[in-house]
Amino acid sequence: MIELQGLTKRYGDTRVVDDISLTVEQGEFCVLIGPSGCGKSTTLKMINRLIAHSEGKILVSGDDITTLPPERLRRRIGYAIQSIGLFPHWRVADNIATVPRLLKWPSSRIAARVDELLALFQLDADGLHDKYPHQLSGGQAQRVGVARALAADPDVLLMDEPFGAVDPLTRDTLQAELARVHRQTGKTIVFVTHDMDEALRLASRVALLNAGQLVQYDRPAELLVAPANDFVRDFIGRADLGLKLLSRRRVEEYCRPAQRTRNNAIASAPITWQVDADDRPMALLGGRLGESDIARTVVNPEWIATPEMSMKEALSRMVWFRVTALPVLDNEGRLLGEVTMSGVMGHRS
Amino acid sequence: MSVSALSRAPSSRRVLLIALSALLIALVLGMEQLAPLFRALFPDQDPAMYQRESFLNLTLAHLALVLVSSLISVSVGVAAGLFVTRPAGREFEPLVSTLAAIGQTFPPAAVLAIVVPIAGFGFVPTLVALVLYGLLPVVQNTVAGLGTVPSQTLEAARGNGMSAWQILWRIELPLAMRVIIAGVRVSVIINIGTATIGSTVGAKTLGTPIIAGLVGNNLPYVIQGAVLVGLLAIVTDLAFERLEQRFSFGASGAAS
Repeated sequence: MIELQGLTKRYGDTRVVDDISLTVEQGEFCVLIGPSGCGKSTTLKMINRLIAHSEGKILVSGDDITTLPPERLRRRIGYAIQSIGLFPHWRVADNIATVPRLLKWPSSRIAARVDELLALFQLDADGLHDKYPHQLSGGQAQRVGVARALAADPDVLLMDEPFGAVDPLTRDTLQAELARVHRQTGKTIVFVTHDMDEALRLASRVALLNAGQLVQYDRPAELLVAPANDFVRDFIGRADLGLKLLSRRRVEEYCRPAQRTRNNAIASAPITWQVDADDRPMALLGGRLGESDIARTVVNPEWIATPEMSMKEALSRMVWFRVTALPVLDNEGRLLGEVTMSGVMGHRS
Repeated sequence: MSVSALSRAPSSRRVLLIALSALLIALVLGMEQLAPLFRALFPDQDPAMYQRESFLNLTLAHLALVLVSSLISVSVGVAAGLFVTRPAGREFEPLVSTLAAIGQTFPPAAVLAIVVPIAGFGFVPTLVALVLYGLLPVVQNTVAGLGTVPSQTLEAARGNGMSAWQILWRIELPLAMRVIIAGVRVSVIINIGTATIGSTVGAKTLGTPIIAGLVGNNLPYVIQGAVLVGLLAIVTDLAFERLEQRFSFGASGAAS
């Protein structure tokens, strides 16, 4: 748990961080976001004393951070930045072992921990263990950076725009992976970004900062549905609020039972799935956009949905493939249900 | 393809290093065996072979001079470079750079002229001249090398809980080592050449036969001394090249 109480940072007469108070509960994923110069990075770096605060108090797991020597404090708090922060002259395993070595763990325990983290981040293949940072892809280097931050099993993890320098595709994978690691480990995470989509995707709480002040601290859905003022609304982007909201929702929340048939005959429902003996969907009967007569569309692997998929993606697929429904499949490819265009409108929560 | 090119280039340099080292040792120990050759080439010179002192002794004296002066240059230079890159010493950076530059602008001969009246003839004035002359590349490269460590790397080191000493020993110095060694390499190579003029004030070096040859108009003496000094410089340079490569971590490639 992290508590900021009246946190202020002054450089001369300018208050770059101005009286911020917020509490990040145990296990929370808190994203600090705001326009550049809003003080989000400064706030983060005050938590592990990379920057000294001018006024106020910071408590990490109940301890005032000024009562600990800075090095001791930092070894208790994971810290991840962009991949260039890896030590270029150390192999992947040495990089990950940084903090355990500072804490003088026995080498057998360090080796076991490194292997565990390599497995957690799916880095255990291809002899990555002994590679140097410059031999890694951007995504791999970033994973090593996060693994290093987690190495000594800290309760708290600070991340300063860790995915800022990777390409959009890799960023997408890394975000999904971080969300999974957060679910698995239950760490308290404070994450700085300027990318609203990243914030909405990862956060359990978003702290929106402007000019050093905390504008709104809320769950992502509340931020979208009940923005505190016009600044929040503008920053989120009014134009695609609806889509942003859908990007927070998962297909399973919208999934409805599907009408099934084993043969080509048209069933009574407007949307019917033709399934094989194993309950795998073969084709969609009806449900085409802009066609009044009943059509038969063969299911292909591109236009299916899975329960974990975001509704934004599901909707996007419906539009792209010009259908009003997607089959929702489980891991084995069996039909769980369907999501429909009208279902997207119907859901309210 | 680039991998094989990389692995092949150093191995041919290695063969060169071994071959030239062997040649150097052979010449130092067996220069006398070449007496017939020098007599044939220079029939008019009566002693066509420098014999007042063995080449082995001259080479060892020369090496001792270079070794001691380089040790002092490197310790003082690296210490100064470290000092001016720490928060406490940052304001002394211009001063130290200027002092080191003055040391290099002074011609060693002028330094000898100043130091000899104070310290007398021989080893000591030469040592002073060499130390001053070799300081600048070490200081400059230490400052430059430490400057190449990316600020994000330092921030990561701090953020992961390393103390200032741990950051210096585990991160900054290893990453700057390649550039620092390049500075030491320049300094040592300069000193190998410059040490020869120590013989004008009575220091025993490989410059002794050269000076004797110049004074006595004896070209074979000059050649015998100069060939050994040249070979010594080339062999040392190749050895430093190999040492530098040990501290290459692909950091320069990863920066792109």
